[in-house]
This record gives sequence, C-alpha cells and structure tokens, in this order.
Amino acid sequence: MSKNLSKQIANQKSEQEVLLSSMNEALPNKLVELLFKAKMHEKWPIAQLISIFERNTTDNLIARHQIISYLNHHPGKFNKQAMVLGITGTPGAGKSSLIGEVCLSLLKDNANISIAVLAIDPSSHDSGGALLGDRTRVIFPVKDNRLFFRSQASQLDLGGMSKRTFHVTRLLRKLFDVIIIETVGIGQSEIEVQRLSDHTCLVMQPLAGDQVQFMKAGIMEVPDTFIINKCDEDALAKKSLHLLKSSLKLASIYVDHQEAKKKNIFLTSAIKRKGIDEFCQFILEQIHEKVCQNRLNQQESYFLHKWVKHAYGEFGMAVFEHHSKDEQLCTGTLEQKELRYKQIIADFLTHIN
Amino acid sequence: MSDEKKAHHIYDKEGKVGQDRPWIFRTYAGHTNVWASNELYRNNLAKGQTGLSIAMDLPTQCGYSSDHDIAKPEIGKVGVPINSLDDMLVLFDNIPLEEMNTSMTINGTSMWLLSLYVAMAEERGVDISKLKGTTQNDLIKEYLARGTYIFPPEDSIRIIVDMYEYCLHNIPSWNASNICSYHLQEAGATPVQELAFALTTAITILDAIKERDCFDEEEFERCVGRISYFVNAGMRFVEETCKMRAFGEMWDEITSDRYGVKNPKFRRFRYGVQVNSLGLTEEQPENNAWRILIETLGVTLSRNARCRALQLPAWNEALSLPRPWDQQWSLRLQQVMAYETDLLEYPDLFEGSLVIESKVKELKEQAFAEINKILEMGGGVEAIKTGYMKSSLVASQGARMSKLIKGEQIVVGKNKWTDGIESPLVSDSDGGIFSVDAEAAQKTIDALNKTKENRDPARAEASLKKLAEAAKSGTNMMEASIECAKARVTTGEWSDTLREVFGEFRPPTGVEGQSLSIESETLSHVREKIEKFIETHGYRPRMVVGKPGLDGHSNGAEMIAVAARHAGFDVIYFGIRLSATDIVQSALEENVDVIGISLLSGSHNEIIDQLFDELESNGAKDSIPVILGGIIPAPDFQALKDKGVKRIFTPKDFDLMAVMNEIMDVINVQKSQ
Repeated sequence: MSKNLSKQIANQKSEQEVLLSSMNEALPNKLVELLFKAKMHEKWPIAQLISIFERNTTDNLIARHQIISYLNHHPGKFNKQAMVLGITGTPGAGKSSLIGEVCLSLLKDNANISIAVLAIDPSSHDSGGALLGDRTRVIFPVKDNRLFFRSQASQLDLGGMSKRTFHVTRLLRKLFDVIIIETVGIGQSEIEVQRLSDHTCLVMQPLAGDQVQFMKAGIMEVPDTFIINKCDEDALAKKSLHLLKSSLKLASIYVDHQEAKKKNIFLTSAIKRKGIDEFCQFILEQIHEKVCQNRLNQQESYFLHKWVKHAYGEFGMAVFEHHSKDEQLCTGTLEQKELRYKQIIADFLTHIN
Repeated sequence: MSDEKKAHHIYDKEGKVGQDRPWIFRTYAGHTNVWASNELYRNNLAKGQTGLSIAMDLPTQCGYSSDHDIAKPEIGKVGVPINSLDDMLVLFDNIPLEEMNTSMTINGTSMWLLSLYVAMAEERGVDISKLKGTTQNDLIKEYLARGTYIFPPEDSIRIIVDMYEYCLHNIPSWNASNICSYHLQEAGATPVQELAFALTTAITILDAIKERDCFDEEEFERCVGRISYFVNAGMRFVEETCKMRAFGEMWDEITSDRYGVKNPKFRRFRYGVQVNSLGLTEEQPENNAWRILIETLGVTLSRNARCRALQLPAWNEALSLPRPWDQQWSLRLQQVMAYETDLLEYPDLFEGSLVIESKVKELKEQAFAEINKILEMGGGVEAIKTGYMKSSLVASQGARMSKLIKGEQIVVGKNKWTDGIESPLVSDSDGGIFSVDAEAAQKTIDALNKTKENRDPARAEASLKKLAEAAKSGTNMMEASIECAKARVTTGEWSDTLREVFGEFRPPTGVEGQSLSIESETLSHVREKIEKFIETHGYRPRMVVGKPGLDGHSNGAEMIAVAARHAGFDVIYFGIRLSATDIVQSALEENVDVIGISLLSGSHNEIIDQLFDELESNGAKDSIPVILGGIIPAPDFQALKDKGVKRIFTPKDFDLMAVMNEIMDVINVQKSQ
C-alpha cells in the first residue's frame, strides 16, 4: 500500500478513536437541560435539539449519540414512543390543509395529546435553496405547546426524502404522541415515506385520474390508507370511492395473496371539515397500538444499509454483509454502528495490503 | 362660412363647437380619525376637488374594530378608522351627500361600508336613490395583490352579487364594484396580464350575476352598464394609451358577444385611474413629479379612452404617507392639465393611426388568449384557488426585478445617473414625511366604547342574528347589514359574524417554484458564502420571511423570498397578516438564522417592539437577528437599530443579491458570537 494511503487510514483510525472516546462521555448538562425542557414541549429547546439531529458536523454526531443513549437509559423519564404517520400525495390534493384540520381536531378533543408535524418541500436543483411554504396553509393556534411544526428541505436526495428526516424522527418519537410527516409525492417519495413511517397515507383529489398514474408507477401497493380529499360534494365523493375501490381490486391481482391486508379509505373535505373526525379516530386507534421494537429496528437497519450503500457502494454492502454478525454492528446507537463500520472498512483496507 | 364639420372640432348636440368637461379629480385621502379626515375632505372640496376618495385604515378594511389586539398598532395609519354608524356621521358632517360622488376603497368589508353609507343617508333624510359613488369591492385582486380579503372566494363573489342586486334596484347610480387592474400592475403585471386578469374578473362577476337570475333582460343590461374599472397607467405611456384603447374595444366585444348587451351605452368601458406608484423612486424623489405627469398622459390623451376620474400619487410615495401639501401639489397637476391646455377641445387624436391600431391589435390578441386560458381552467375563482394568477404575477415581478438588477430596465436615479445634488424638498424639519398623532387613536377608541354603551343591545344582537341567518340561507345580506348599521353594530362584530359562517381564507402565496433570472457576480459571491457556511456548520442557512400586521402588499416579501431561495437559502415564507407572536413562534420552531420582516404601513415601531418583546420572553432576543424591509422613513432608522434591528432595507436596495449578501454577513456575525 502506498505510504500516503497508509497515512490516511492511520489518521482516520485515530480520528475514530477520538470520536469513540468523546461519544462515551456523558451528555453535557446544557443538553440535558434542553432535553427536559423539550419534554415539557417548550418550542425553542425542541427546535435546537432538532437542529442537532439535522446539522451534519462531528460535534453533532457525538451529541446525537449521547442524546439517544441518554433517552434509552432513562425510559422512565422519556417513555413516549410516537406513532409516525406519513402523508403524501400530489400537489393540489390539499394535504397541508387536511393536516391542519386534523391537527386542530385532535388538539380540540384530546387535552393531553402532543403532535409534531414535519413538512418536507423540494430543494431547487439550481441553487440548492428551498421555499418551505407549508406553514402558510393553515391558521395554527399560537402558543399551544402541544403542536410543533417544522419545515425541512428535501435536499437533493434522490429518494426525495433526506436522511435527516429519519434522524429527526428518532428524537421526536421520544417527545410526542404522533409525528406527521408531509411530503410532496411524485414517484420515489411515496416509497421512501413508507420507510420512514409506521403508517402511510396517500391523499388524492376526487376522480383526478391519479389512480391510473399511481397504478402505472406501481405505487398502489404502498399506502396503508387512501384519503380522497376535496370531497365537498357527496355525489363526486361516492363516484371517486367507487373508482378507487375498483382500481385497488385490479391492482391486487399482483399482490401476494397471503398479505391480504385491508386498506383503509377515507373521504374528507378540509374546507368543509367533513370526514375529519373519522380520520382522527383512526389515528387515535393507531397511537394506542404501540409501535413495536421490531419495527423500530427494521427502520434503523434500513437507514444504516442505505447509508452504507450511498457512501461505499455495492462493495461496501458486501463488506457489511460479511460482518453482519459483528456485535458492535448490531448493538448500540446508529452513530456507534456507523463508526464501527468505518473502523471495519479501515481495518479491511489495511489488511488487503 | 362653411357649415361643413371639421375633423378637429368637438360638436355638441346642437352642432355647436364645444369642449369636453374635465374628468373627476380625486385624491385618495383619509387618516388618523374621522374628525381629522372630515376636516381634510372639506378643505379638499373647497380647493376644487370634485369627488371624494376615501381611504380606510387596515383594521376597518380587514374587518376588525379599533379595540381588537391586531388593530392596535394600525389604527388610523393608512386611512380613517370606521367602527360604526356614529363614526360615519362624523366623517360626513357638513358634506352634502346628494351632491357628492364618493369612492370608497373597501373590499372585504365593502358590504358593511355601503350599509353604513345608506343607513347614514336614511337617517339624514336623503333620498338614497340619488346617491352616487363606488365601493371598490374587487376581491380577486385582493387575493392577488392587496391582501384585505376575509372570506373564501365563492363567498366573496356571493357578497359582490348581493351588492349588485341591491344597488340596481335601490341606488341605481352606485357602482357596486370597481374592477381593478391598478393593483395588478403594482404587483408587477404586464399590460397583457392587466387586460386579461381584470376582464376575467368582470366575466367572473357577470357570470355569477347571470347564475343568480335576479334580473330581467333590461335590468341585466343596465347592470352590465354599471360595471366600472380602476386602472393603472405607467411610464410607458404610449403602450398605456394603447392598453386603454384595447380595454375599451375588448369590453365592447365581450359585453356584446358573451352577454348580448344591445345598448351601446351599456357597453362603454368606464374607468378611473390612479397612476403607477411602483415605479416611483425613493432616490431623487423629485423626479417622481415628472413621472406622475408623464403617467397621466396615457389616460388623458386619447379622448375615446380617457379616464372618468383620476387620482395621482404624491411625489414622496416611496418615502412614507404623503402630507396634505404633497397631495395638493398632485391635485394642481390635474387642474393645470385640464384647464391650461387645449386637450379637451379635440376629438380623439389617435383615431386612424396605423401605429396605434397595430399595437392595440397585438395587445387584444394576447389578452384574449390569456382570458380563454383561464376560462378553460375553470374561470377566475378556480385560477385563484390553484394559484395560477398569483404565480403569473410573481413571475412577472421577478422578471422585472431581474431586469432592474441587470440594468436592462433603466430607472433614472435608481440604477443610472445615481449621483447628483441632494433635493431641497426633503430637508424640511419633518423630513418631508407624514406621521400619525398617536393620541388621536385614543379618541377613536373612546368613541367606539361610547357607541357600544349607548346602543340598544337587544337590537344589535337581533340584527347580527338576522345577518347570520341571511348568510347561511343565501338571502341577499344588504337589508340585514343596513339594519346592523342602524343598530350601531361595530365593524368587528359584522365581520366576525360572517367569519363564523364562511370561514377565513388563506390563498396560495404564488412563490413556490419561482426563481429569478440573474446570474451576476454578486450572486456567485453569495452562493460561495452559503457553501462555506454549509461546510462549517453542516446545514443550509434558514430564513423566515413574513409580513406582520394587516398590510397585504406582499410583493417585497415575495421578491425577498424568491431571491433568497435563488441565492441558496432555505426560506420559510410565512405570508401576510401575521402577528408578531406568529412570526416569533415560527422562527423558534424552525430555528432560523435570521428573521426578515416586511412593513410599509407606518406601524413599524409598534410591531418591532412587539416582536422583540416576544423574542425576549422566549430567551431568544440575542440569538436570532432581525432585519427589516419596506417603506421605513430614514429618521426612524436609528431608534430601530437601537432596539436591535440589524439592517433596514428600503426600495433603494433593489439589487436583491446585494441584500442577500448583507444578510449572510449578519448571519455570520451572529454565528461568531
């Protein structure tokens, strides 16, 4: 191996050791304070913590690990496990207004509920910037700490969803009862939302012909729930329901018969406030069926794999598979696992010499 | 002496050579409170003004009484506050209603203001069928450019139709609405867009009236004849002249083809004008006097397309609200033009001009194409709900800003010939700027409380109940509103009752997907700064942009949002009609690096105080920098900076990328602390 490469690997290894020891330090008091304020749903502390999970620096990597470890080690104090509801659909389907009405309804009927909304908008391919406009759609209550709204740019992740969203849900799961993730769905995003959510909803306009497009893209199998919004008028609503049901029936020819999961369909109108109560009732039922650990592990595993593939390609995946029984790749926080993987790669490169 | 008629004379009915009467001179006026405004109106009428054009304050326009929290910083700033019939009586004290032609710039609450006017006439014993005037009442342009809408589009149209129905039967000389293209141009519309969107609005209203089927054929024709317009006239006065001729020809065609109106009198394009203020500059403001004169040409030169009423802005519009002297100076322009020139002695000067005809033809073709496009989309209401019209305007404004920044469009004193001798006109002790007397607001609130104390509570309650019933059942709401007025119901109460029934509306912002076509060195510079920021801090800088208070002139904020995204920021564009608390709450939740506030209603001091108080109570005052943009008088800068505002941008700072550069500097300074 060239001297240069050896040197690089050696540097990396020592960096990793430093990181590892930093990570093993206790969570700084300043952050512990923030965590407890966040538990009380104070807005700025939550926002600052979210930033730690969004912003890509070494310090934040360490902080993320420490925070997650702290949360895991204090299950008595942080016993929430939010249900993540993914809501997607084409622009114009009225997702934002619908989510607004749903939140207002849930807040009105449940004094103790807490909801976080993550609204994701696309980033510009030219400038990299983004216009995050989902806040404007609904008049939210002011100073009600039970509801927290955060906008995110999708960045230029091909999945239309950034890894940052996943990181943020890891944090928010411990602080809220429900997390609603809202994305513009065209193509890949629907599938990515499914990865991120415990339950996925597709919002459509009545009789807009979306169903045909979705069938073509093979997306009909993805959502657990379909919502036909803008059902201001009953006749139109009935027609759309019928059309959707027949499309689903057609699509299920290709679905594994054993997975005869029943899909839910809701008819809503955000403007006329119709159908909102039924959908809210459904959400409350989902919240009560606590998310199982298995599901959480699956999610984390998916994102770990995704990171490996993105950073190290097919080759990296092969190395990962080879070491799948490695204890440190199977336990600890995501940050620890990523660090462990980097160590494995570094060792591997040293050994191939 | 030959009896043959000459082409260059105007002949009256008896065949005698005569001349036209001048158009109506108006000044858009009103401020502080009803006592001060009443005095102003009586003075203006004495000076030779021939009609009243009433400016109401933002709370009145948006349906809030003066004692509402959101109203407090805005009472009397951009117009006169009107809370009840008692206020109306003071406003028109000693002004003869039978002789007056009163134009009210009111939209969301136009039915309420008309009800007040009618109730006042009835209480004074004036025959209401003699009343003359206009309520602006064009909600579509509110959704697009001005922001004083309240209810959703379908309900707004229903209110407009209610008023047309009532007016035709009861106040036949009243223009129930004034279709506005003025504000569209102020928001960046091109002449084709002005033509197309304004005429689409007219079609939307007439279609709705037809649908209600409340008029017979003869009444409907008269109703069409009542449609009047409020148009803009910009610096490109030749094109503007052609645009006005195009308006006349297109309206004639639409009324006869689409609506079958037979009487040519009812197919005439009737319009009033205020000339363009968007193009008036803060730099070398004295040039604006020339600009205003030039803009007047487009709507006066061509007799066949001459305005019926003209309002001129003042030379110092870009600095702050004009003082009475400034308005007087603009009024004099009209008087000089009408009485010292020979313009009114001639028939139309452009008839038969090949150049004019060709340009008019082109404008008509393009405008008709756009109208048909919108009608195919489902019509005006649909185009509002989907954001099509709004996005088109934002795109035009973006294109205009790009041209200004690149220097492709020249504005003297702004991007060319920027050096020169300082104007003596702004060196007055008041800095050439008008400010509102803060104690005057208290008089308004005291009067409001007195009204509420003295009225019969049972009558007021009953009238509101009847109003709600009419609203729900689809009955015409005018009668119920007039009864509310007589019962001394307040502006806030009337509006809240209807809010309950119709709901409040939030239209699309039109900024999604927009970008600017600038590729300049400054842009590269900013993008570099942002890349560096991302490398250091691991994320893209975030900005929240919003307009606190009731003012809805959102172009500036929209352009900033679009420019920021173009530079590479993640922008949370929050829109209009926000409270300081709304803005701070979102700034906190989004953990932004800077808060951008846009204001031009004169209430910046109060609102900045509210904003900093809110930040302070959340412990964030020193952590998130605040920058301010809009119409802010220079004398106020220091006080604002002392309070903590980091930068203040005004229309002078038209190079948006330079603005973005400065914002990045503010952010970087904050980070280093």
